[in-house]
Amino acid sequence: MKRKKDHFLGYVRKDGQVGVRNYLLMLSGTLYANTICERIAQMMPDTIPIIHPLGRCQVMPDLKMTFKCLVGHGKNPNAGAVIVVDHYKEEGCTADEIAHEIAKTKKPVAVVNIQRSNGTINATRDCMNYGLDFLRQISDMRREEIHAKNLLFGVNCGTSDTTSGLSSNLATGECVDIIVGKGGRALQAETTEMMGGEEFVVKKCVNEKVAKKLLKLIRQREQDAIDAGCDLRGSQPTGDNILGGLSSIEEKSLGAIKKGGKSKIVGVVGHNDPIGKKSGLYIMDSPGHGGESITGIASAGSQIMAFSTGGCHTINHPLMITIRLSGNKKSIQRMESTTEVDVSDMFEGTTVKEAGRRLYQEVLDTASGKMTKAEILKEYNAFAINRIGPSV
Amino acid sequence: MGVRAILIDPKDNVATVIDDVKSRDQVAVMVGKKKVATVRALKAIPFAHKIALCNMTKGDTVLKYGVSIGSASKAIKKGDHVHIQNMESNRGRGDLV
Repeated sequence: MKRKKDHFLGYVRKDGQVGVRNYLLMLSGTLYANTICERIAQMMPDTIPIIHPLGRCQVMPDLKMTFKCLVGHGKNPNAGAVIVVDHYKEEGCTADEIAHEIAKTKKPVAVVNIQRSNGTINATRDCMNYGLDFLRQISDMRREEIHAKNLLFGVNCGTSDTTSGLSSNLATGECVDIIVGKGGRALQAETTEMMGGEEFVVKKCVNEKVAKKLLKLIRQREQDAIDAGCDLRGSQPTGDNILGGLSSIEEKSLGAIKKGGKSKIVGVVGHNDPIGKKSGLYIMDSPGHGGESITGIASAGSQIMAFSTGGCHTINHPLMITIRLSGNKKSIQRMESTTEVDVSDMFEGTTVKEAGRRLYQEVLDTASGKMTKAEILKEYNAFAINRIGPSV
Repeated sequence: MGVRAILIDPKDNVATVIDDVKSRDQVAVMVGKKKVATVRALKAIPFAHKIALCNMTKGDTVLKYGVSIGSASKAIKKGDHVHIQNMESNRGRGDLV
């Protein structure tokens, strides 16, 4: 079926969001429910597990961060239905509380509590029964032709080198500008990697209030590093950034910020928080940590993202479709099984506009159902919840 | 066209090499498709690393994208490989507090 220009084929959810996949999401509320989520995902088709070591014995602010991250993923439109699995009782982060929030989207949601089910075998059986029902329901949905303005396009970078700031980040920024120009939204994070590039990002903010908020967050990230009493180098830039030629966080940031293109920054939110409905580029406060920052972007409801990588990162979020692009032809030759879009021809004359359009086309095709290499290989390696407190 | 390095901003004092550079190579400094200068590499410079476009003394600002990316931590000669061995970041330096 030939799609209309600037359209993709997506699943329209009852809350008006549009998904680019139609998964049954096995959402673990806590470490001890992980195995059941993985087991069901292995047994059933189109089923994705989200597992993590948290949800218990955390100080309240940290637990709240975990809670809103899990809720955000349940609400993400790529999940057609959700089963939340719980161990026993996690005060402030129970599966019942998580499911209650997700149910506001009107998608099928169920809770399985291992204690209430009387053990793991029974809990597995209960998940299978819900899964059977939910997959019958959601597999009966069909993709519809949807305008690109319904995309919440995520952007991120990792295992960057100097080619990132000269090619793949620029192509990503161009794609942001295209999608925002069509009325869509884009979401950028990694405020640590704006340190050194403040004057450029602040200029893009739509007003003084947004600019002040963003500057405060960037400064806080730097202060956190200073308070730790360490030289940031080796952590930021990372060892692989340094191998790739990036000598300082400033140099990394000045390349990294280009992922936002020329679009105005219309809002700034905290990590794992939702964003506004207005078209434009949003910034989410997050560390540069790849897994944590892309997880935050998925929590906000992003269906699909471009991940720009000089060294060719294997990163892939289990629920939010992750397209990897690179401008480093040596990396791409080595890591072909890990790269969807090659923009190394930007060093041989291809313009930013041309490369950006190529990425945009890949976004629309992938949104419509074309699988990424990571999906085919079932590489679900990048769900990571940001910690803001110790375990207790 | 031999080996190339990209100059991003006219104020920059480093360029980013986009071909493997051997010691003594004449590196073409490019702005888009136009060569604006030639610099002889004083040592091998790995793909995607930086080459110095002028001499710098310790403490001088290293400029890329038209702004500071750090300071020279040692004297740097034109054509030198510029990286963590001779430049350092000025941000997030908890070690200096």
